[in-house]
Amino acid sequence: MSGVISIADVGKAFGDLRVLGNVSADIAAAEFVSVLGPSGCGKSTLLRLIAGLTPFEEGSIRFNDAEVTAPSPEMGFVFQTSNLLPWLTVRDNLLLGVDLDAAVQRPSDAVFAELVETLGLTGFEASHPHQLSGGMRHRVAIGQALARNPQVLLMDEPFGALDALTRDRLNMELLRIWQRDRKTVVLVTHSISEAVLLSDRVLVMSERPGTIIEDVRIDLPRPRDPSVTREDPAFGDYVVRLSKLMGVL
Amino acid sequence: MSAPAVTRDHAISLGFFLFLGLAWEFGVRWSGVQSYLLPPPSAILAELWQSRGPILAQSLVTLTEVFWGFIIAVALGVPIAALIFFSRTAKRTVYPLFVALQSIPKIGLAPLIVVWFGYGLTSKLIMAFLFAFFPIIISTLGGLASTPAHLEEHFRALRASPMQSFWRLRVPAALPSFLDGCKVAMPLAVIGAVVGEFVGSNDGLGNLILTASGSGHTTLTFAALIAVTMMSLILFYSVAYWERFIWWRAA
Repeated sequence: MSGVISIADVGKAFGDLRVLGNVSADIAAAEFVSVLGPSGCGKSTLLRLIAGLTPFEEGSIRFNDAEVTAPSPEMGFVFQTSNLLPWLTVRDNLLLGVDLDAAVQRPSDAVFAELVETLGLTGFEASHPHQLSGGMRHRVAIGQALARNPQVLLMDEPFGALDALTRDRLNMELLRIWQRDRKTVVLVTHSISEAVLLSDRVLVMSERPGTIIEDVRIDLPRPRDPSVTREDPAFGDYVVRLSKLMGVL
Repeated sequence: MSAPAVTRDHAISLGFFLFLGLAWEFGVRWSGVQSYLLPPPSAILAELWQSRGPILAQSLVTLTEVFWGFIIAVALGVPIAALIFFSRTAKRTVYPLFVALQSIPKIGLAPLIVVWFGYGLTSKLIMAFLFAFFPIIISTLGGLASTPAHLEEHFRALRASPMQSFWRLRVPAALPSFLDGCKVAMPLAVIGAVVGEFVGSNDGLGNLILTASGSGHTTLTFAALIAVTMMSLILFYSVAYWERFIWWRAA
């Protein structure tokens, strides 16, 4: 199985502002990795470097053993804002990443219908984004990335703007989809509990210029659900440990 | 809004304008103002009906000028705006040229245009075009520049080609602003055509206004003015009609 990302000694500066320094990490296929760090630490920039969206000179990022220089059809990016096109229906928004990219195969009707079903969007295919709630718009955004059937899902604080309840529900849906499809996921977040709940590993970043100060393996049993946060004492231990690393405890 | 409330709103508007009309009518009658200075609305309406043949014929002349002037303004304005948007050279040459041209009072240009293009359709069409052209360019430029940066990045992540990004992102994103420009440009095109007719023409509503007032036929002047206004309104709303197809401006 593919979906392997290897980051070696990557640094990035915008003009005089150095945002990343000496970042190295290896992400295995089908691994769920969270990147956790304070605001402005460069974690979103790191994700854009992995996606091939932002050019960089320092170090190297390899995806499936090829140097990353441009966006890949095998990667799906979920942005912080849902970024739906208001003039397209839910269906056309979901398929936008398939329509635009000649290298991506169109999902069969059955696969697409299942995706719509999984995301709880059945019956809304002909709606337009302004008719949807914030949570549903984010589901469409995730669905757009998933419709490309990529090996890797890169997510930049995808639920950051949502209320806690919607956020928890979407996290659970994300977990369910990941447990079924086993894609590599790199999730950028600043929520410690979200990172522990979802991830196999949490990469903790320092303040800017961001670098990885700790690589924490989360050995909680899978499949997980929110009860883990209350019932498994190990969950609390991880949260405490990560909080200390982040300097919030 | 509920249906009765809408009906009530309409009734209020209607009542207001009815009141204004009646005030005018009886104001003129009781004050004894001469009708060659200010005719009562009843006389104007009667004139509109009596002279409906010539008014309609002249309206058609003006409408033709406005229509083609506006169409050409869009047909030239949109590609020129795109050129200015995408070419740094055009931004430094074509754009300041048009800004400078826009600063020339177009009414002052009208006599020259008539000298160059004669008394026929062409000179009036050019006047309508000149009035409508600039708002089209500015609004199209503004629309093209209004594509949010995060959507551009999103399209790059989806590996869209530059052509795809243009047609499927920039163009739809520019439409609301472009339509606003059209809404401004359309009544301006009417003004342009009428100004052209004032300066040099044997027909059109502008010419009718000029000849009627010149011969002391004030009711016909008013009737022609009403015809111009109605035309401008109808044209404006026929442009505004297209807004329903770009509902996403509000979203």
